Amino acid sequence: MSNLSPRARWAVPAVVGAVVAAAFIAPPLVASASSEELPAISPQQLVTAVAEARDQPLSGTVVYTARLGLPSLPLGDMAGASPVNLLDGSSTMRVWTDGVDRSRAALLGATSEYSVVRDGPQAWTYSSTDDAVVHYVIDAKDRARYDALQQDPPVAGDLPTPAAAASSVLGLVQQFSSVTLDAQSTVAGRAAYNLVVTPKSTTTLIGHVVVSVDAKTSTPLRVQVWDRTSKTPAVEVGFTDIRFATPSDSVLSFSAPAGASSKEVSVPLPETPAAAHSATVPDGTTVTGTGWDTVVQLAGVDVAGLLAGDADALSTVPGSAPAIGSKSGQKLLEEFGADGSSKVRDLDLGTLFGQITKPVPGGRLITTKLVSILVTDDGRVLVGAVPGATLQADAR
Amino acid sequence: MTAPAVTVDPASASGDLPGADAGSAVQTRALTKRFRSGQVAVDGIDLSVPRGAVYGFLGPNGSGKTTTIRMVLGLVRPTSGTSWLLGSPEPATVLSRVGALVEGPGFHPYLTGRANLLRLDAADATADPRTAARRASEALERVGLLAAEGKPYRQYSLGMKQRLGLAAALLRPRELLVLDEPTNGLDPQGTREVRLLIRELAQAGTTVLVSSHLLGEIEQVCTHLGIMSRGRLLLQGPRSVLDQRGVTRVMVTVAPGHVATAAGVLRVLGLDVSAEDHALNAELGALEPARIPAALVHAGVDVVGFEVRRPSLEQVFVDLTGEGFDVAR
Amino acid sequence: MSLAETPTPATAPAPVPSMAAAYWRLQRSELRLVLGRRRNLVLLLGLAAVPLLLGLVLFFTQDTALDGQGPAFLGRVTGNGLFLVVASVFLCLPFLLPLTIGIASGDAIAGEASAGTLRYLLTVPVGRTRLLLVKAVGALAFAAAAVSAIAVVGLVAGAALFGVHDVTLLSGDTVPLGAGALRVLAVVAYVGLSLTGLVAVGLFFSTLTEVPVGAMAATVVVAIVSGVLDTIPALSSIHPALLTHHWLDFAEFLRLEPDWAVIGGGLAVQAAWVAIFGALAWSRFTTADVTS
Repeated sequence: MSNLSPRARWAVPAVVGAVVAAAFIAPPLVASASSEELPAISPQQLVTAVAEARDQPLSGTVVYTARLGLPSLPLGDMAGASPVNLLDGSSTMRVWTDGVDRSRAALLGATSEYSVVRDGPQAWTYSSTDDAVVHYVIDAKDRARYDALQQDPPVAGDLPTPAAAASSVLGLVQQFSSVTLDAQSTVAGRAAYNLVVTPKSTTTLIGHVVVSVDAKTSTPLRVQVWDRTSKTPAVEVGFTDIRFATPSDSVLSFSAPAGASSKEVSVPLPETPAAAHSATVPDGTTVTGTGWDTVVQLAGVDVAGLLAGDADALSTVPGSAPAIGSKSGQKLLEEFGADGSSKVRDLDLGTLFGQITKPVPGGRLITTKLVSILVTDDGRVLVGAVPGATLQADAR
Repeated sequence: MTAPAVTVDPASASGDLPGADAGSAVQTRALTKRFRSGQVAVDGIDLSVPRGAVYGFLGPNGSGKTTTIRMVLGLVRPTSGTSWLLGSPEPATVLSRVGALVEGPGFHPYLTGRANLLRLDAADATADPRTAARRASEALERVGLLAAEGKPYRQYSLGMKQRLGLAAALLRPRELLVLDEPTNGLDPQGTREVRLLIRELAQAGTTVLVSSHLLGEIEQVCTHLGIMSRGRLLLQGPRSVLDQRGVTRVMVTVAPGHVATAAGVLRVLGLDVSAEDHALNAELGALEPARIPAALVHAGVDVVGFEVRRPSLEQVFVDLTGEGFDVAR
Repeated sequence: MSLAETPTPATAPAPVPSMAAAYWRLQRSELRLVLGRRRNLVLLLGLAAVPLLLGLVLFFTQDTALDGQGPAFLGRVTGNGLFLVVASVFLCLPFLLPLTIGIASGDAIAGEASAGTLRYLLTVPVGRTRLLLVKAVGALAFAAAAVSAIAVVGLVAGAALFGVHDVTLLSGDTVPLGAGALRVLAVVAYVGLSLTGLVAVGLFFSTLTEVPVGAMAATVVVAIVSGVLDTIPALSSIHPALLTHHWLDFAEFLRLEPDWAVIGGGLAVQAAWVAIFGALAWSRFTTADVTS
């Protein structure tokens, strides 16, 4: 050592740097290169396999990234772990499910967590920032029917998992899209088929959607939604790691921690299981267009009240808008407001609204890469995966 | 500058040194240091410190002495050339046999003198921890600091700091002591003590390389000299080489009335005499000085005083460089 | 001055200590130096005061409108003293701990250089690699002491003011006291290990200069700049490699099922910084001219 020349000594950090860089960069490359050849399959077979696949017991980490082109929102730092972060930027979730009726999803903040736990007929949300629990139970009168059905309770838990996003996309597959298969790849360390869904419509903002499907279990591992121009997906939600095994019982159960603020919410069970996702629209909601061009119009929304954080104003929202890409985030936001959380007020949504919308004749418009939202001055909200001009035309 | 009186017997300085045949304690060949600024601090010097010598390494401030010493000790990497310390080209392998005081003392201000010594001893991989306390006490006693060993270093006077530096160099028996400006900051009494210490150590067989920019302070104890100026080693060798370099003069004071006779005797001896009152002054040249008083007495001259004035270091330096010694560049 | 000894090295009777024994002798000396220095003790006391003050403030405001306000974990302290440890570490992490690390590691080599002791250590001789290692361990020990000071005082103050109870995790689940205390211990350990990269950076800066304050300031600036870069979305591609990016991952230990990949990733990034800046410090220190 002592007789090394200075030049040789300075080579040491260079070598160390190269080794470190290799150690950090190489494993993903190796992983993506080691994908073994999968049996050939047709797009239609794959769609069917996904549709028919049993829900798997699994646990894993889901990363959701939205590059919707909204102005940068400094929400994540201020609000801790909350579903508001799903609007733009990147969020990480841990999910656990037994594949039947028990599951947990935890939205991770740097030092906080927003958890949604579903245990059969009841569910909880817990925000570590507020130390607040909301406990959802099915109406007593519906409980017997639930036990008979063992069916989904229509409660919280609808975080944007790859499976949920994939089922939304595949629902639109048959009628309005062309479906092809892309090269196989590795997602979350598993060999996956890549289903490419391209809208036949040319007027929607959505360019194409890639659904990566686990070859063994037919579980959707990742969904990427591209707009028509960008090189990177506008919205991406996928597992970064996944284990197919039934999670431990402690993960799938919940009891409110001592000292937390707690709130009980009783929810009715829908008449039939199918009703939850049916095309029946609530009062005050009209739907125009078809498939990818669907525009949902909500009438009589108290926008000003909502922006002021007035929980009562939520009752003016007729229902949730089934618009692709924004659906899950929007539902969460809604549910989040219903928690009575103070965070919405802290964030001053009014100012935020002013920042991300631009005035147009007759209202204010939010345009993102995938979704446009028009809020008219007369209290209507139009949402669709179409250009803003289409919404403005619809509003007239 | 003190009087340039020569007190060292030239014969013992130039003669065989104990251990000299075992090679040099310090040797360099074409040792050069060019700093990144482009300044050449040391320019191809061939230093040779024989074992057993007290080597006076002299030169004005900024002449390259300290940089040379740092290279010899392995603190600074030479731009080119090589150096050997106790016969090894790798200073680290022999440094435990070398005590060093480099460019002033350096200790932790908030530690006591004793704690500072113990820390240095703890750093010495070859030192026996069981004897550390005793060796520290002995070193402190040797430099007269035992009474102040418990005081924090920052409360020491400049002289005490310098002594502590010497004590650190003396923590273990050393074959070679490298003392860079050991008398800096010392009062005349302290300077005398350092000289005495160097002489004691040399008598015990330790080679001493001592640098100074003050010629008179160490000139008296040196057996060998090396003179640096502007990064070059101008002159090096046993103490006696100086005598050949400069002009040795002889001064004879005689009784009144004997001046003319005395001058005649000296001329007969081949000297070019100048007279002033009762004093005669001549260059000694190659003449053996002992012959002069004998010849004068033989001629019946009453000799009142006789003095051989050897060349001063300063004079030699001025002769060599054409400039004053205390010129820093 | 007396001549008590005769230098006769050829017959020196003392046995040469083993390499390891010699190393630990210097290492102990270094630890005494670092941990015994008054300035460093004052720093540790300052850090230890944070949980104490925080605990007292929370204790006296717990029934007021301020209760439950403030950054993460703070709201949980009044319910469980264990969280005073976590909250204090969390509060000290952005600035106070980097400052402490900067002072300890920036001083490591530059401090010896400025005091003039470096040249004497090197002529003792101490091999430069060995000295750098000793200094690194000393700085790491001080970092550990800093984190421990916060943790221990936080635990004692928290237990005294609020008591310790079963721990409510970020997920809302509750784990028993023993397991919870282990998790808090893991948080402290992770934070301590998270600072190793900064120690290496400080050590490298310390080899560049003879002015300790310069190395200290540069080290603190690195931590702060890293924190700032971490908030700029446009640089998200380099965020995972940033020194401070994974510091808050200590929260992983307070989640229902800590993800070891996240924890391992955070520690791996620190290890990378340690490797690179440790190597840089080594190259610099073993080739530098010591002219101080």
